[in-house]
Amino acid sequence: MKTRILTLTFAIFLCAAARAELKWEQNTIDLHPAIADKTAVAHFKYQNTGTTPVHFKSVKASCGCTTTQSQKEVVNPGEKGEIIATFNIGDRTGQQMKTVTVQTDDPNPTQATTTLTLKATIPQALEIKPAFVYWQSGEEPKPKKISIKASKDFPAKNITAKSNGQVFESKVEQGSAPGEWTIEITPKDTSHPAGASLLIQTDYPKEAPKSFNVNVQVTNPPGAPPAPRPSVPNAPAINTATPAAIPSASPAGGVER
Amino acid sequence: MKLRAVREGLLLVALACLPAIGEGIYFRDKISWQSSIPASELITADQARSWGDGAIWVDARPDEEFARDHVPGAFSLNEDHWNELLPQFLPNWSPEKKVVVYCSAESCNAARDVAKRLRDEAQLKNVFVLQGGWEEWVKKNR
Repeated sequence: MKTRILTLTFAIFLCAAARAELKWEQNTIDLHPAIADKTAVAHFKYQNTGTTPVHFKSVKASCGCTTTQSQKEVVNPGEKGEIIATFNIGDRTGQQMKTVTVQTDDPNPTQATTTLTLKATIPQALEIKPAFVYWQSGEEPKPKKISIKASKDFPAKNITAKSNGQVFESKVEQGSAPGEWTIEITPKDTSHPAGASLLIQTDYPKEAPKSFNVNVQVTNPPGAPPAPRPSVPNAPAINTATPAAIPSASPAGGVER
Repeated sequence: MKLRAVREGLLLVALACLPAIGEGIYFRDKISWQSSIPASELITADQARSWGDGAIWVDARPDEEFARDHVPGAFSLNEDHWNELLPQFLPNWSPEKKVVVYCSAESCNAARDVAKRLRDEAQLKNVFVLQGGWEEWVKKNR
C-alpha cells in the first residue's frame, strides 16, 4: 500500500515537473509607423521556461495583410526566440488591430493557444472629407465642398486642385487655421453622366511633393452604363504603390481574410 | 433558524455579485455586448440575391483571391490598393444601388473595414456586409 502511494506521488510529481511553458515577453505590441512606411513589424519574443520542448502547431494571422515568421518549429527548454509579424499597411489609415494566433503542443489547453495582438496607428497625411463627391444626373449643378486638413506630421503649406476632365471646375480656399483648406467643386453640366479625378497637389515634402485624388462624378441614371472617365493625371495618390515583397509565412502559417 | 439560513444565503449571493459588479464597472467601455457589425448592416446571401440588379457587389479580399474566383459582376475593392481600386468602383455605383461587401468568411474583418470606409470616406449610403462572406455565398449559389 505504502509503495503504491509513493509511486502515485512520484508519478504526480513527474507530471507536474515535466511541463512545457512558453512565456511571452509581450502579448500586445503598439506600433507607430511613419507616413511613408509600407510595413509595420512586430517582434513577439518568447522563452520556453518549462522542462520539455514546445512544438509550434500553427501560427495564424487574422488578416491576409499580415504575414508571420517563426524562426523555429521546436523550442527546447530554456531557448528563446521570436515570432515576427509583418503588417502590410497598403492604403490603410487610422487605428488597425491585427492578431496572430499561436498554437503549440502544450498539454495545458490554456497555455496551448496564445493570441498576439499588433496595434498600429497609421498616420493620415491629409484628411479629405468627403473623398467622393457626386451629383445625380439632371441635378442642379450647384457647387459642393470638400474639406482638407493636413496632419501635424505633414506640414504642407499650400495645395492646388485640378480636375483631369473638362466637366468640373474647382477652387481652393484657405481654411481658418494653417493646414486647412476647402475645395469648392462645380460641374459645368449635369445632364450627362461623367466622372473625373480631382488631383490635389501639396507642396510637401519639398523634394517629392505628395498628391492625392478625390473622385467626382455625375452619376448615371438607373440602368445606364457607367459614366465615362478620363484617365487619372500623372501624379499617383499617396500609398498607391504595391507593397514590397514580404518574407513568406512560416510553414505552419495561415491567414484568414 | 430558517430565517438565519436565508439571510446568510443572501449575504453569500451579494458577496459573490460584488466582484462581478466591480468588473462590469471597470470594463464597461471594454466589453462589447454586441456584434462589431450592427444587425442593420448585415445582410444574408438570400436577401442580397433578392435585390438582383439593385445590388452592387464588392469583394474586399486580397487581389489574388479575387482573381481566383468571385461573385459574378463583383468589383475588387480592398484596403491594400484602396486608392487605385476606389476610382474603378465608383463609376459603376449609383445612389439607388445597395452595396454588398464580402470577404472570405464569417470571421474576417476586411468586409467590415471596407464597408466602414465606403460609408465614412466616400459617404455612400446603403452599404451592407454579407453574413458568412464568400464561403456562405458559395454554399448558397454553387
